Amino acid sequence: MSFREKIHWVTLVTMILAFGWYFLVYPWRIVASPAGVMATAGMLVPVTIAIIVAMTVATAFLAIRSPREVHAREDERDRGIHMRGTHFGYYPLVVGIWINIFLIFWGIGQAEQLNLMIATLVVAEIVRIGTQLYLYRRGY
Amino acid sequence: MAKPPFSNDIRTLRFLAGEMTQGDLGDRVGVTRQTIAAIEQGKYSPSLEVAFRIARVFGKPLETVFQWDDAGD
Repeated sequence: MSFREKIHWVTLVTMILAFGWYFLVYPWRIVASPAGVMATAGMLVPVTIAIIVAMTVATAFLAIRSPREVHAREDERDRGIHMRGTHFGYYPLVVGIWINIFLIFWGIGQAEQLNLMIATLVVAEIVRIGTQLYLYRRGY
Repeated sequence: MAKPPFSNDIRTLRFLAGEMTQGDLGDRVGVTRQTIAAIEQGKYSPSLEVAFRIARVFGKPLETVFQWDDAGD
């Protein structure tokens, strides 16, 4: 497994764990109130820190274990895989944005909008990274 | 993923070229070892430029390295 593929796995697992925790622990009973926005802000701080720390530690660890691959330039296959992943990740992003637009007209609260946007971003990222990992494994 | 409609003899040509490793070939062609492995296994169709570069490393014409599979028409 290449260095890039390992980094993709670390990113995927980190995102699922961090945002899985966020959506499980979020106080959904206050989501419709102004306090829901503060809860979102307060919980996004540890989630962001956890992702940055986990990615930094994992990248450093993997770089020490395979120093030769760290400086390997992205080749045409890497670029093709990344473009396809981004292409597939675009669809859930657009669907989520449109759902959010309709729900804003419907009159949902700010915290609900925020959480829907976060969920959209997380799903799009998981689809993007998942597609890239699939293509690295199964061929492209 | 569907297999490309052509096969290749890169593995054999590497062996005949002094047991050249996938990493060595990748370095000379300008792609990663994983990309050479994917091409050999039919999991990735290289660009025309990379295909020509591989053939040039072995000093062979393109059709000696890559063969169109008539059954794949």
